[in-house]
Amino acid sequence: MNKLKIMVLDDEPIVCKRLKPALEKQGYEVDTFTQSSDAMEQIKNVEYDVIITDLKMKGIDGMQLLTEAKQRSPKTEVIVITGFATMETAKESFHKGVFDFIAKPFKLSEIQEVVSRAEAKIRGE
Amino acid sequence: MWSRIGKLIKKLFSGKRSKVAFQQVFEQFQTLLQNHQDAMELIADLGEKSGGDYIFDRKYLVDSVSELQELLLRMVKGLNLISSERYYELYSTLDRVFFPIEMELRGRLALSNAPYVISLTEMPLDTPELTGGKANALGEIIHKLGIPAPSGFVITNRAYNRFVEYNDLEERIHSWLELWMSGKETLEKSSGQIRYGILAGIVPQDISRQIRDNTKTDNEFWAIRSSAYGEDGDLSFAGLHESVLNAPASQIPDAYKQVLASLYSTEALTYRRQMGMIGEEAAMAVLCQEMIDSRASGVIQTLSLESSQPNCLAIYAAFGLGRTVVEGRDSSDRYIVERAYPHKIVFKRIAKKESFVRAASRGGEEEAILPEDIRSKSSISEGIVNSLAKWAMALERYFKRPQEIEWAIDSADQIWILQCRRLAISPEQAETDGNIPDRFSSHPILIENRGVVAHAGVGSGRVYIVNNHADMAVFPEGSVLVTKYTAPWLAQIVPRATAIVAEKGSVAGHLATIAREFRVPALLGIDNATEILQNGMEITLDTHHRTVYSGKVDELINFERVQSMVFEESPEFRLLRRLLKRIASLHLIDPYASDFTPDNCVSVHDMIRFIHEKSVQELMEIPGSLARFKEAKVWQLESDVPLDLRILDLGGGIDPELCGNKVEIEQVRSLPLRALWEGVSHPDSWSTRPVEIDFKGLMSSLTRNWDAAGGGVANAGFNLAVVNGLYMNLHLRLGYHFNLIDATMHEQAQRNHIYFRFVGGVTDLTRRSRRAQVLSQILSNYHFNVLIKGDLVIARLVDLPKEEIESHLKVIGALIGFSRQLDIQLRSDQDVDQFVEQFLNRYGSLTKSVPAGGEDEQVKDYGLGR
Repeated sequence: MNKLKIMVLDDEPIVCKRLKPALEKQGYEVDTFTQSSDAMEQIKNVEYDVIITDLKMKGIDGMQLLTEAKQRSPKTEVIVITGFATMETAKESFHKGVFDFIAKPFKLSEIQEVVSRAEAKIRGE
Repeated sequence: MWSRIGKLIKKLFSGKRSKVAFQQVFEQFQTLLQNHQDAMELIADLGEKSGGDYIFDRKYLVDSVSELQELLLRMVKGLNLISSERYYELYSTLDRVFFPIEMELRGRLALSNAPYVISLTEMPLDTPELTGGKANALGEIIHKLGIPAPSGFVITNRAYNRFVEYNDLEERIHSWLELWMSGKETLEKSSGQIRYGILAGIVPQDISRQIRDNTKTDNEFWAIRSSAYGEDGDLSFAGLHESVLNAPASQIPDAYKQVLASLYSTEALTYRRQMGMIGEEAAMAVLCQEMIDSRASGVIQTLSLESSQPNCLAIYAAFGLGRTVVEGRDSSDRYIVERAYPHKIVFKRIAKKESFVRAASRGGEEEAILPEDIRSKSSISEGIVNSLAKWAMALERYFKRPQEIEWAIDSADQIWILQCRRLAISPEQAETDGNIPDRFSSHPILIENRGVVAHAGVGSGRVYIVNNHADMAVFPEGSVLVTKYTAPWLAQIVPRATAIVAEKGSVAGHLATIAREFRVPALLGIDNATEILQNGMEITLDTHHRTVYSGKVDELINFERVQSMVFEESPEFRLLRRLLKRIASLHLIDPYASDFTPDNCVSVHDMIRFIHEKSVQELMEIPGSLARFKEAKVWQLESDVPLDLRILDLGGGIDPELCGNKVEIEQVRSLPLRALWEGVSHPDSWSTRPVEIDFKGLMSSLTRNWDAAGGGVANAGFNLAVVNGLYMNLHLRLGYHFNLIDATMHEQAQRNHIYFRFVGGVTDLTRRSRRAQVLSQILSNYHFNVLIKGDLVIARLVDLPKEEIESHLKVIGALIGFSRQLDIQLRSDQDVDQFVEQFLNRYGSLTKSVPAGGEDEQVKDYGLGR
């Protein structure tokens, strides 16, 4: 079975730096981005199984990236990570097409559980 | 800003004590208790985040701090309301305490107010931006691990900036770098021009004066080394920058310039260009340490890089100063030692050594010929090899990755750690291709997805179960600490453990705080850990899936080794620890000490404690000043219980039909007071049997100066309950104990609380502390959060449904009678357990619906830390 390809996008480097090894340890292939414009370029070339993205970022925000990614590859599952305060607005404004939401700060085990569920869906289990 | 508001408020009240409505005082007090609880929980949350099990971002820190600030502002306002504006100076305390916290969050603190020169013993930790990587690591070795490193001081990055500015070097450096980068000048020319500028510069007087102040010791010669930011961290600048050894104090400014200039050596510039760092502003802190007159010295690599020696570390040693070993290892002795305790030597090679480097008598180094008879002798004893191995592994455990350590031994055979940096390991050397499975099928899983993570990480070793102090003394270095308890005395062995698995404990508890302090991966709350994990068993803990594997899982350990980031060393975690130091540390301990003032509040925790103590004191004064509240009607409770209780009804607490001034408990409508009274009037609670007082207890009760230590309660002639239908605030003075109970019994669970505070007593402090232990154990059994300080016991319970509050208040009622003269009877520590048991047996029937159980995990530490 192929490794799941995951993109992580968050403008705070610590989120990327911590998620990458944690997800790699779980057996996934992980690319991380702190600039949403770079991430946007990347999805034009690479198809990801899962995209984990923050919402509020300078320049292109998570919403735009999500829309673009879904357009290019509807199979891609998107997990939105956002601050606790903006959680409800996030859920309201676009539940469509988002696999799940996670409020920051979150435990490593929480995101792993969500990614596992996304994987099960992708693999049709 | 708050101080301005404070002044405004003061103006409004124009210094006169205003009359605040009685009811308002109690409403404010309840709000204060709630804010206090919220603030302490926020602080406990921040502490928990520093354990690494969560992913948080800077925004979380900013939000938490602003929430905390908001709570504190409300608390300051609340205290001022109930005290008629007696503490308006707290508004400026609030400004003062939060200012540096905000500066930390904006990233401005490190350099703006920092000193040019700071001694290693006084330097702040977690600030490599100021002191550089090497000095920061040494600071942690000295302060946290207690491993000897030569004393000295750091000339900070701020001094570098000052030096550059003073000598107008910024423009020169910038333009020569430009010329080189654009290919218009050679590397050698640019490097030479910049270095010449630095060497020709003048060390400003304010810096050189501070250097002189720090060299006024008996020590004559100094070692001056670079401590650049990033050095010894993620990036390895090993060997790129210059060191000057054995310099007399008078030459330190020159040596300082020499080390600064090496920031622009051709090698350093080439390296920074390769790493894409040339555009970034460079700065260099410089470390000056007393010169160790080394008899022998060398280097340890905590992981031998030769594949034929897995699970070993390598020690290189030679006579004299370290240069021999650092510059060429062929002519040094080599020991290959097992990483695991007791560090068996598996291989040794004693080199034939012709010469050695020594400190020259007038400064500097010189090479000398070794006497014939010791040329083929080992430069260090096997005892030293063993100690070096032990310390090296302690350093690796703390810094989380294999280390390269420079060490020296002096003529008295004392070992000194000179520097410690991360050992660069390639994936091949670590025998990992970075491709590891999620589960390690070959290793049986002993524990999975259970417990709570107090500190994140991977740790492997042999199980050692600790039951008592005797076990601690023989705890083998690098073992996995497995224990039923979370007791504070475990603190001594935590730094020696490679991992912790405990049956009890919570993430806000004491053991968790210590595990974080020493960065030991810890999984708590595994209720049968001591049954699953047997002494001597080799296991691997990975907090990642809250998993314990049987055996040593090399794939996992090797995977960790090559990960570039150690979360503990990341800027975000450093920032969080710096914030916690300013938020969670507690300096104001004794509320009756003369320094218990707003001026002495250093941290947010200090402020919280100050406000809380003062608000309680304000309430304590109420019974004595009842006369001031003429409108208040005070009832007297008629009861067989020998407890003179007056009741002040705020509304709805007493049968409205009642006349006169006497009331029976059946006519009391206040739900919390009725529940409490059921416990108080329990037939067993008020034994009239005279208490047998032994001589020591009696003498102590006669001589103790109660007013001095008790704090303003002596004027209260009776016991007072302030109530309404759903609320009770009870002041009890029984014998010499002072007891405050504040409780609500609302339909909505989230509005409910019980606050219990008990202090004072007749006998000596030891016995009073025993009583505190009894109360704490009983209350913990009923799931109160308990905090003890000497003989002060504070217990809280929040957010419980009405029925639960009712049962708990009965327990408190029973406890009031039970504890009356408890301390006189507590003659030994054994009595503590006996009394706890007695209580639980006697009052079991009162509290059927209250789940008993639990032990010390309820005792919160609130990250008191250091």
